[in-house]
Amino acid sequence: MFEEIAKIIAEQFGVEVDTITPDTTFEEDLGADSIDIVELSMALEDEYAIGEMSEDDLAGISTVGDLVQYIQGHVEE
Amino acid sequence: MKVIVDAMGGDNAPRSNVQGALNAVKKYGVDVVLVGDGQILLECLKGLGVENLPKGLEIVHAGEVITMEDDPATAFRRKKDSSLTVGLELLNGGAGDAFVSAGSTGALLSAATLLTKRVKGIRRAALAPVVPTGNGGAVLIDCGANAECTPEYLLQFAYMGSFYAQKVLGRQAPKVGLLNIGVEPSKGTGLQKETYLLLEEADRSGGLNFVGNVEAREAVEGTVDVIVADGYAGNIFLKTVEGAGKLLGRQMKGMFKKNLLTKLAAVLVKDGIREFKALMDADAVGGTALIGISKPVIKAHGSSNEVAIQNAIRQGFTLAQSGLIDDITAHVGYMSMEREKMCGESVEKS
Repeated sequence: MFEEIAKIIAEQFGVEVDTITPDTTFEEDLGADSIDIVELSMALEDEYAIGEMSEDDLAGISTVGDLVQYIQGHVEE
Repeated sequence: MKVIVDAMGGDNAPRSNVQGALNAVKKYGVDVVLVGDGQILLECLKGLGVENLPKGLEIVHAGEVITMEDDPATAFRRKKDSSLTVGLELLNGGAGDAFVSAGSTGALLSAATLLTKRVKGIRRAALAPVVPTGNGGAVLIDCGANAECTPEYLLQFAYMGSFYAQKVLGRQAPKVGLLNIGVEPSKGTGLQKETYLLLEEADRSGGLNFVGNVEAREAVEGTVDVIVADGYAGNIFLKTVEGAGKLLGRQMKGMFKKNLLTKLAAVLVKDGIREFKALMDADAVGGTALIGISKPVIKAHGSSNEVAIQNAIRQGFTLAQSGLIDDITAHVGYMSMEREKMCGESVEKS
């Protein structure tokens, strides 16, 4: 699942997929702003059919690893 | 042409929005869809002396309103029945040709970006007002949508601003300047220096008429048609121009009111005073186009009165008729190609 999500992130942020690791931070490493985060969450909600991520959910995600963990947890549910 | 108006957004909503829509229908012969609480809007129309919906005006009900307290990035998702969200969904579905809102800028930017979507390949939408300058106005892009920018964003803003100046202001080969603290290529922060190289390359390839860095005072004098800036610097530039205009207007008023002779002088130059007031009148402009979105979206200022709303509606259909979005769409690949080319050159140099 990490590879799949990394590919989506790489496409959205216009970076090489190999540069994305679980420790990559959205704000500092990818320069993401709040619109980027919501855009990414919408793409992932569609991709994994996980329902809408709340503001609290988004606030708790700062790295790619956090996001992968969140998606895994909700797909399994 | 049909323009969709967020009837509940803005400090003077819904009254000014409804009156502005009525004026626009009458003056321009355009159709307007008012989106908001149906009951409140009907009462508002009654309060304005309109018992029956006039031809060309319709109401679409939306029960919620996005306020300044809502998180701008997610408000459109949390309030799906808001006038902003419903209005943009109507635009997406083809129920209108343009959308106008005087509500929260952040919420409109997020909703337009994520619901209506950017033109494919455009990294960021930008707010691009036409600011009063010595050459009859210049496009300032960006004026606050993106406080932090990359050289790529600014390159795209330059192209989009250039197309806007051609299509909407009618300028041929618009002169594009990069807002900076000096004209030399070495001036500014890393952002301006890197952007300068990209714009220079775009000029060499014939895509842009880049005339170099431009200082704020020269931009105001009218040396360029497009002022490219990150949202932070652009917003300071815009507010300075607005403030300086107000100060000049007030000083001039005081000067003419001094005594009988100066009052007489004011009568003699009243046409000039009227022209000066019109030059600085934000209501006459109406709003600011959100450039880079795949459909025409206009942000009217938060304190819009009915004149400002009417003019924002005019801007909406003018933008829709201009073909600007088609131009941007057709040239996105070119903008990206320039970037990749420059990135390659930068790597070679280093």
